[in-house]
Amino acid sequence: MKRPAFALILGVFVVSAACSTGSGPTSAAATPKAGGTLKVALESELRTLDPLKSSQRVERQVYYNMYDSLVTIDTSLKIKPGLATSWTYTDPTTLQFVLRQGVKFHDGTDFNADAVKFNIDRILNAASSPRKSELASVKSVEVKDASTVIFHLKKQDAALLAQLVDRAGMILSPAAIQKAGADLGLNPIGAGTGPFVFVEWKRDDHLTLKKNPNYWVPGRPYLDEVIYRPITDSNAALAALRTGDIDVAGTNAIADKDIASIKSDSSLVYKDIPGLSFEGFEVNGGSGVFADKAKRQAVALALDRAQILKNVFFDLHTLSRGPIPPTSWAIDSSENLYTAVDINKAKSMATGFSFALKTPNTPGSIQEATLIKDQLSKAGITANIQTEEFGQILTEASAHKFDAALVGWSGRIDPDGNMYGWFHTGGGFNDGQYSNPQVDSLLEQARVASDQAARKPLYDQAQKILVEDVAYIFIGHGPAQEIASAKVHNFPLIADSIDRFAEVWKG
Amino acid sequence: MVPVAFLVSVAVFSLIHLTPVDPAELILGEERTPEAVVALRHELGLDRPLPEQYVTWISHALRGDLGRSIRTNQPVTQAILERLPATLELGTAALAWSVLLAIPLGTIAALRRGSPVDVLATGFTILGVSVPNFFIGILLILVLSVNLRLFPPGGFTPLTDSIPDNLHRLILPAITLGTVTTAINTRFTRSSMLEVLRQDYIRTARAKGASWRQVIVGHALKNALIPVVTVVGIQVGAILEGALVTETIFSWPGIGKLAIDSIFGRDYPIIQGFVLAIALSYMLTNLAVDLAYAWLNPRISYA
Repeated sequence: MKRPAFALILGVFVVSAACSTGSGPTSAAATPKAGGTLKVALESELRTLDPLKSSQRVERQVYYNMYDSLVTIDTSLKIKPGLATSWTYTDPTTLQFVLRQGVKFHDGTDFNADAVKFNIDRILNAASSPRKSELASVKSVEVKDASTVIFHLKKQDAALLAQLVDRAGMILSPAAIQKAGADLGLNPIGAGTGPFVFVEWKRDDHLTLKKNPNYWVPGRPYLDEVIYRPITDSNAALAALRTGDIDVAGTNAIADKDIASIKSDSSLVYKDIPGLSFEGFEVNGGSGVFADKAKRQAVALALDRAQILKNVFFDLHTLSRGPIPPTSWAIDSSENLYTAVDINKAKSMATGFSFALKTPNTPGSIQEATLIKDQLSKAGITANIQTEEFGQILTEASAHKFDAALVGWSGRIDPDGNMYGWFHTGGGFNDGQYSNPQVDSLLEQARVASDQAARKPLYDQAQKILVEDVAYIFIGHGPAQEIASAKVHNFPLIADSIDRFAEVWKG
Repeated sequence: MVPVAFLVSVAVFSLIHLTPVDPAELILGEERTPEAVVALRHELGLDRPLPEQYVTWISHALRGDLGRSIRTNQPVTQAILERLPATLELGTAALAWSVLLAIPLGTIAALRRGSPVDVLATGFTILGVSVPNFFIGILLILVLSVNLRLFPPGGFTPLTDSIPDNLHRLILPAITLGTVTTAINTRFTRSSMLEVLRQDYIRTARAKGASWRQVIVGHALKNALIPVVTVVGIQVGAILEGALVTETIFSWPGIGKLAIDSIFGRDYPIIQGFVLAIALSYMLTNLAVDLAYAWLNPRISYA
């Protein structure tokens, strides 16, 4: 009796698979239509709605639609005006912003220089906030007049503007912050100035934003409402997208293995560009087996990155040449040192040693680690896979108690964000204890250099050295993705993989 | 009840602190600069000695204050209470369909022992206990949601918003969650019924001329249900465990998801509160099971 039932299920599956092949997405440039609700799946639930306390990439997906920052970026990652209309360095350590006038917070209070000072001071006084280190160069903020604010810096910081694009530069209503008190992270009523207004957050179920009718960009947003749903199971997110239960799946909400089926579904749209992240594994150069540079180089030479990208990431990720992603102006595309596998050279550097590879206990990571183990064995290197909960790996990596660990980085707009904390001596994320005075000096110079043209050669040099030193085993850069129903139009695909919905409309 | 709850809280507190994970590191994630980690540990009181942390927690708990989540800063009581209705609804539906299907199915299988109905029922029970519920869930979503578009693939609508939509979204997770218990209950009902049917008093009842219907419903079933009730009582726990998986697959905003996130996030106050809630629900279920015995068999009394 069981067989016919199983055959029926299998039959339905096969028929549906056969029916779901179709042509790629079509996107017609049409007149934007106002109205409608956009339903969005997020890879996980948020922890907090307070940018001060935020530490998850997924939280930024919601923030960017309800809060505005002083400055923002365009698709080429160039800094554009946001809540500040212009900015000038009156001297190398004094940065003056002219603020947009007539902007109101969702609670009806005015956005002005006092609000900017209030928010920045809040960060400077919060020792436990990840934002504090982002604004480490800021000494104080001065209100010149209602629409002019001056940042006094401890030292020059070429990466500061890029930091102000993100959470450190988001300006919330001081009145709303004070009113919400300890509950700001849960219920930020009226706190933003953004295109959408916070309505409610039923944790683990949905978070609703509605259109801000007084948004400072005339005629925007088009949508009436955005509803976010955390769908942690990739299969469930895919099913919800197929059935129209959601319109958009955020980057990472759908597993790489399922992207091919989305590409072949004519009712869905898939597009991607290389994102800002880097992935691979940390190596502990401070102590243990990888204190020997030759062994790190042997591992880097024996790895077949292309095979990993193909088998684990389904060719959706881009081969990594170093910490700088291909989308950045600071990419050194001539860097090719470890992009091809060379077993003989690897063996000549070092062979016959073993190390522990700490691997998060998720199927994708274990698959990646297994492939790495297999590849390295060809060069006589033994990788012993140690699967652990990700939190445990983070704890041990911070304490430098590891040989190698599969820990990546979500990436930042400015190259400084992908390099300084990771590879400067004593940097906040420098788990591998990499230390090279030359790299330190280059990264410091790049921070105080005046413009991109001056910074680029410094980053090129720094990258060359730390790639050669194998400060980290770079494998790939993850994509920024548009995964949506074909009814969703005008989706701005930006390398920071944050979905901004002010311009999006539903047809 | 109070000593049990106390022991449970001590055990959980000790066990969860044995794991080598620092919640402050987890909260800060990839943005964990050493300075921020130290400051956050201090802010959350995690740098104080463990016994002191426990005493602070228990003294507040005794006054009804379970504290705030260290991840989200949400009050623990609120976090649990706002998710409890969804889990209760899902659990009740799963148990209800499991009992409503299992008792008739088990009874018929026992009465028609060896017949195709019995083979079918036994086959179902083997399949039901062997197939893990995450697989059943994914299969149901694939076939009934994605392919046939009969049900939404997940999500939750509160009863107060729309009763039809609520029930529509409830069916697949309830089937998923209740399949294992249905299978077990069918087996128990069947074997217990077979046992009872062999008893002398059944033969006596038949000999006195009582109809089959009277014998089955009036004599056999009531007695056969006593072990089944015990099992159903135990299953309340199994349902809560199963809810951890089912709620994740169907994006159901219940306490199962909260528990998983809190355990992985080392959110001590929420875990403590959750365990207390579970211990309490076990104790209440045991009480209900004891009362059900007395109703099913009046000879059992609690004078």
